[in-house]
This record gives sequence, C-alpha cells and structure tokens, in this order.
Amino acid sequence: MTIELSRRGFCIGTALIGLQSLSSGAFARSEDGTVKLGLVAPMSGPNARYGAFSLRGAEMAVKEINAAGGAAGRKINILPGDSQGTPVEGVSATKRLIDQDQVDFVIGDVSSSVTLAMQPVVEDAGVLLLNAASSNPMITYKAGVGGFKWTFRNYPTDENRALIVLQYAAEKKGFTKYAVLSVDTDYGRAAIQFTKKYLPRFKCEILTEDYYKEGEVDFRSVLSKIRDSGAQAIIMYGNADTTPIVGRQMIEVGIAGKIPLIGNAEFNTASTIKAAPKALEGAIEAAAWLPSYDSPQSKAFVDKFIAEYGEAPNNHAYVHWETVHLLTKAIEEANSIDREKVRTALSRIHYASAVGEVTFDDHNQARLPMILLEIEKGKPVIKGAYSAEIDYPK
Amino acid sequence: MFYTIIEQIVNGIVSGSVYAIVAVGMTMIFGVLRAINFAHGEYYMLGTFGAWFAIDYFDLPYPVAVVIGVVATAIIAVVVGNLVMQRIVGAPAEAGVLATLGVSLILQNTAIFVFGGGYKFFSGGYIEPVSLFGFTLAEQRILIIIVGLIVFVGLELAVTYSRIGKAMRAVSQNIECCAVVGIDVRHVALWTFILGAALAGLSGVLTAPVNVSVYGGMGELITFKTLPIIIMGGLGNVRGTFVAAMILGIAESLVATYVGLQFRDTVGFATLMLVLMWRPYGLFSAQARF
Repeated sequence: MTIELSRRGFCIGTALIGLQSLSSGAFARSEDGTVKLGLVAPMSGPNARYGAFSLRGAEMAVKEINAAGGAAGRKINILPGDSQGTPVEGVSATKRLIDQDQVDFVIGDVSSSVTLAMQPVVEDAGVLLLNAASSNPMITYKAGVGGFKWTFRNYPTDENRALIVLQYAAEKKGFTKYAVLSVDTDYGRAAIQFTKKYLPRFKCEILTEDYYKEGEVDFRSVLSKIRDSGAQAIIMYGNADTTPIVGRQMIEVGIAGKIPLIGNAEFNTASTIKAAPKALEGAIEAAAWLPSYDSPQSKAFVDKFIAEYGEAPNNHAYVHWETVHLLTKAIEEANSIDREKVRTALSRIHYASAVGEVTFDDHNQARLPMILLEIEKGKPVIKGAYSAEIDYPK
Repeated sequence: MFYTIIEQIVNGIVSGSVYAIVAVGMTMIFGVLRAINFAHGEYYMLGTFGAWFAIDYFDLPYPVAVVIGVVATAIIAVVVGNLVMQRIVGAPAEAGVLATLGVSLILQNTAIFVFGGGYKFFSGGYIEPVSLFGFTLAEQRILIIIVGLIVFVGLELAVTYSRIGKAMRAVSQNIECCAVVGIDVRHVALWTFILGAALAGLSGVLTAPVNVSVYGGMGELITFKTLPIIIMGGLGNVRGTFVAAMILGIAESLVATYVGLQFRDTVGFATLMLVLMWRPYGLFSAQARF
C-alpha cells in the first residue's frame, strides 16, 4: 500500500497540524486550573523498581495535597515519563513532557547519568527541574551560580556522603586502608572521585580500585584480590541488586565479617542482610533517609505508605513524597504557578521535612543531613545524622 | 603471588564450566540447525526462574527445584522447537537469526510480564565455603565443576554410541544425505534443540545460588558470552567448545584480577579476535563436528 500525497491533502494535513499545535499552545497549559507535574523516572528496565517507588511516593503526596485543597487552590496532576534509567530515553521523556504535555514543573530522575542529561533540556525550555534522588555532585556544581538556573536538588550529594562515611570509618573505626568496588556509572565513579578528595584529610589510602558493570554477577576474582591487598574495608557505592551477590561471594572468599562494606548500596534492606548476614555485619552506610528513621513525620509516612501499597517504602518513595510537598509549599508561597516566581520562592524556602529543615544554597542544592547507620547483629542501627557544607570548586 | 594465580585459575575454571554447559547446547543446535540460537540465554533464564518459583512459592528443597527448572525449560523448548526451530532446518541463515531473536524477545518479556521486572532473590543452594588445599570454594561451585564434567562425558558417550546421537552427528555433517538414507531430520533437529535448551536451563539452575539475583533480562549477558565461545571452539564442535569455554573463563578471571573488573566483559570478544586472526575457523576445525 502506498500513500498518495496530493497537494490538497498536504495543505489540509499541514493546516491540521498547525491547528493542533496552536490549540495545545494556547489552551493546554494549565487553563483547566490544575498544576501539571511531570515525573521522569525509570518505569521499565533494570531499575524499574526504583521508578515504581518514586511514582508511588509522589502519587501519595499528590493525593494528600489534593484532598487538602491543592497547591494554592489548584489540584496537582502527575504525568509520568519513562526514562528506562538511560540518558537517551530520559531526555526524550523530558522533551515529551515539556513540548506535548506542557507540564509546569518536572521532577526527576533517580539515576545521576539521566539527570545530568536532563539539565540542559529544562534549561533551554525554562522549566523548573526539581531533582529528588540523584546524588552525583556535578548536578549542583553546574546549577544555580554554576550556570543552570532551572535545576534544583532536594537530595544530599555524594560529596557529603563520601566525607561522612570516610570520617566515621576513619575516626570511629580506625580504618586507614581501603579497597574500592563501585558501580561503573556517574554515581559510582563520582562517589569515589570525592572520596579521594577527602582521603588526605583522614590520612587514608586506597589500595585497589575496581568498577563493575550493572548486571555483573562474578566478584570472586576481585574479592580475593581485595583479601590479599590488606584493605581494612571495602568502599562500595552501588545498586541494591548487586549487594546480596557481593555479600555471598564475600562469604566464599572468606572475608565476610573481617572486611566490612562501607558506602551506600542499600546494605540495610532486610532481604540483603538475610542473603549474607555474616558479610553485612559491620557494614556502614550513609543514607538520605531510611524507614526506621525516628521522627513522627517519617513514621506517619511509613505507616501510610504501607497501608496504601502493602509494602514498606524505600528511600526513593520517601524523597519523591517529600519533594512534591516541598514544591507545593513553594507554589503556595509564590501564590502562583508562574515558573519564575516559584523558582524564586524555592530558593528562599524554609521547609520542615521529616529529616530536618530544607533550605537551598546558591548552587540550588538543599542543605540536608545524612543518616549514618551500621549493621549490628543483623539490624541497621542509626548512629546519627550528620551534615557538612559542600566545598564547591572556585 | 603464585597462590593468587592458582586461585584465579580455579575461579576461571568454575565460570568456564558454567559457560561450557550453556555453550555446548548452543553449538550442537548450530551443528544440526545451522542457526545461531540468539535465544539461548533465555533458556538459561527460564531454568533459573523455574527453580526460583519452586523454592519461593512451594518451599521445595533445592534438588527438587533443579529438576523442576530443567523440566520447565524442556517443556518450553518442546513448544518453541515445534513452532519455530523445526522450520529453520534448511531455511536461509537470516531466517534463523530473526526467528531466534524474536523468540528471545518473547521469552524475556513473558517472564517480565508474569513475574514482574524487578530482581528476585534466589535463596536455595549450598553456599557454605569449603577449604581445599588452602583455597575456599563454595560447595555449589564444586557441584558446578562436577556436573560440568558429567555433562561432557555423558554427551561424548551419547553422540558416539546412542542411535539419536549418531543421527545428530550425521545431520550435522550432511543434511541432504541424511534425508536420502531416511533419517527424519526434523525429528533430530527437535531433539537436539530440546537437549541444548535443557542444558542451558540446567546451568541456570546450577549458578542461581551463587549469582543470587534472578530477573527477566539475565539471559542476554549469557548469550553474548556464549557467542565468542562457540565461534572460538569451531561452530558445532563439542570438545572445542569445552576448551574455548575454559580459556574464556580463565582469561576473564585473570583480567578481572590484574587489569580491572570493568574490563572483564571485553575479554570474550578480544580473545575471539586474537584466535580468529591466528585460526580463522576457530581453535578446532569446523569439519570435526561433535
């Protein structure tokens, strides 16, 4: 079958397309009185689990806000976009949300590599991007006075995380020799880059350095190398799904219980601890939030999430829930959904979150504490909340 | 130093055994069907899922789960074999590529659709470490090496002495002549395919306890590890496949230790290129199939 393109057909077609874009341009943007909120997250692919948690957290917040009368009197409407955890898909999802769905604000992504790719896109469109879950320090190095005016981040950075973990390991545990085993992504690489920045401060050194591809299942060679290197702890910044595999193979090569894991890779998840209890004993982790965090707001969130979805929330559910509430407060303070006004309101905000007050610095980075925990007798024990100022490059 | 090298070689032999069991099925399927089975890793995944399902939903012991995993894979292979693979016999090469790629996508997405896209945790198996001559090795890994040896000796005997084994060798050498003397080529192709898929399923079940994570896309990696092995081994050559799998396993292990873990996945194709420069038909002649 071929399609004949007559001159008349072409004219009618062009006219229709023009009419459609005219209508979406003129009427679609919030004329119905709702706030259109785009949410970019991995809804499919290997990180789909994180995307599902993010969406549920955000949806729960929207439900609460709408039930209480909305943001500055407007109901919020979430429009999800699937990034599949890859920068290419993340950028096209963001473009779709901005151009076709005409969203007012965007929240996203979980993966640092995706967020870094989204930043120039929202900058060109002049749409506010509020990141809730990526931790690569470059995201806010480049934001605010760094250049990208439209990117904000309501999540602690790996620079702080690296510092806090290293400080605790060096001062409280007396570790000075480390081995690195991190995921080969912007997140894993940057966390180590910033760990190295703070090594001299605590007179520590890294003896071996390895990065694994997502989906890697054989760590034995590297773990036996680490065992022979004389390292006192393994610095691991990775994804939750790899931690049980590493833990089990640590048992095999005989370093479980002798060389603890430190860093961040959901060491505190019950199923991970169950998979390799001996290997995870003594693991030290700095997290933005965890379900057992003791504050009335946080506990109420966990209970409500479990009642709503039948499973405990993870970190991503919490940060997205909190970020939607934060954005709502900014909209209310601006008393408008004008992007410029909301951006100004956001930069001056004092928002009481479940882990402490949120304010933004001149790089649009939220000042947030990190919660430090250690696995003791198979249970995560919170060792305190630490915060540190970020040492931006001049 | 010396100790470390020996230990890494032992590690390499363990992963080589896994690759060997998967690859031998793929190479036999190539021998008989003349098609590279791009869905081979998916049978590995199906075996793992079958065992995971048996343990997680019915609380069955690991040995029973192994049987269930392999049988489930074989049943799916019977269906796919009848619907797709039998029709590839004698068809142009691109038909085989497209058909198996299609099967791969369907099996992968069916698994994701039925069980969800997230990672599952495989809780069965024997993961306690055992000390042998100063090395520690999980019981499961020793089991993998033993099963690998049994599989290869068994296959060697089967293709030399059994009726269907002789027919497989004959078909792999000359389809037309087999048809002339009255061998049912489609029947042989079907059985070779089922055997190959079941072996992939078996290796999935065997490695699940040490690899721990189970998810729909896990077969892809295996297909792309197996591809260089069967080419290196001389397509369709069973003994060659065994040697090539061991070479790859040991090379990967040494590279991961002395160069860096991030370079591990490049080893397969780099070794393949080196071997092909030296011996364009693979390490072993493609004429001596089985």
